[in-house]
Amino acid sequence: MEWQIFEQYGPMLLRGFGVTVLCWLLGTVFSMALGLVIALIQRYAPAPLRWLIQIYIEIIRGTPFLVQLFVLYYGGPLIGLRLDALPAGILGLTVYGSPYFAEIFRSGFRAVPLGQIEAARAIGMSEPTIIRRILLPLGLVSALPALINFSIILTKETVILSIITVPELMYQVNRMSTETFRYLEANLVLALFFWLLVETISRVGRRLESRVTRHLLERP
Amino acid sequence: MVQASSVQIRQVDKFYGPFHALKKVSMDVLPGKVTCLIGPSGSGKSTLLRCINFLEEYDAGEIRIDDQLIGYESPGGRKMRGAKLREMRRSIGMVFQQFNLWPHMTALQNVAEGLVRVRGLSKSEAESRATEALRKVGLADKMGNHPLRLSGGQQQRVAIARAIAMEPKLMLFDEPTSALDPELVGEVLNVMKALAAEGMTMVVVTHEMGFAAHVADRVAFMEKGELVAVDEPSRILHSPEDPRIQGFLRTYHERNSF
Repeated sequence: MEWQIFEQYGPMLLRGFGVTVLCWLLGTVFSMALGLVIALIQRYAPAPLRWLIQIYIEIIRGTPFLVQLFVLYYGGPLIGLRLDALPAGILGLTVYGSPYFAEIFRSGFRAVPLGQIEAARAIGMSEPTIIRRILLPLGLVSALPALINFSIILTKETVILSIITVPELMYQVNRMSTETFRYLEANLVLALFFWLLVETISRVGRRLESRVTRHLLERP
Repeated sequence: MVQASSVQIRQVDKFYGPFHALKKVSMDVLPGKVTCLIGPSGSGKSTLLRCINFLEEYDAGEIRIDDQLIGYESPGGRKMRGAKLREMRRSIGMVFQQFNLWPHMTALQNVAEGLVRVRGLSKSEAESRATEALRKVGLADKMGNHPLRLSGGQQQRVAIARAIAMEPKLMLFDEPTSALDPELVGEVLNVMKALAAEGMTMVVVTHEMGFAAHVADRVAFMEKGELVAVDEPSRILHSPEDPRIQGFLRTYHERNSF
């Protein structure tokens, strides 16, 4: 193995990693937000709207991310949606992740005991207040481990953005590989970067989890 | 002295699909009095109680609280608007078998929450009233604790404080001591007795025959969705005429004797 090659390609790979983190971060935040909205619609909206949302969920979950991204990036201009690679990639991640996050939120909400919601109704609390004060805080805590887990899965979906020329880490690794034929070294570096990112997320996630559940778990 | 509501229940029917849960139930709850609902499991006691604040929707008949129909705009008419229903619920306190405290809030926050979000009080005003309510149930020293750091009896007393802080005119209790260890039942019943002594109108679904005998002004016996009898406690508990009540009490005494 020849590691000195990274003197030349290191900065490029670092920039790529930066783009990867940016795509992951924005993609996760946006798809989580969209997923939350979807889950709330699923819980409260009238039936026709729920069916539409269900169709959206089935389509997105039933097709590969790669295909969605192609359709968005190369098919989008046909309907006037002309995006640069980076925003298209972030939008793609947002769309792709949202139904999974929606399902995670839905199960989180279902974990909130009905009695605690009835207790709020019984004192005359309005539904929006119940959502804000009872359902969301308790539902989010229940959903947290699964939210973190899916966020971790999404880190690795970012590599697919290289297909539409988003200059993220995979893209740079591919470039380096074809220019130098150092496939193994380049991909090992990619693996290392991803491991670092995932490890950081899961550590932060565990800290967060123990923080928010400290009043909600029986003392051992 | 609290302002006390009365409840009139007339010919109330409730179905769960094909199951007839309440069969033409009629009953009066008198202002300032304690009415206990007793009867076997599945007899419809809790369902009836939950219809009073419309947590459970009844299908026919009328339930009136101080002459105001609850749940519907008119008898057999459209369902009541959310805002109006909420306004009525503000003056009805409810205590659940499973306490149903909000686990992410301290005892104080549980009690203050409704005062802030429903009654619109300032945080400090709400907290001082909540502290007062907690003092009333003997838990002023536990107000910073989260529910999971409290015993079952303490949790239920916080739940009672949460209800009375809203200054209700009617209190509904749905088997308030059934989920408690036997040694914790007394502290909850004592708080309820004190509340009854203040003249609060109370409807209590219970298996505590002692409470029914000593605290209730009236006892209603239900079976299979029917209100079999409603009368003074001694008439129901000591000299019942209906064989269904006799059978229920016989089973109760057999189970509680050793």
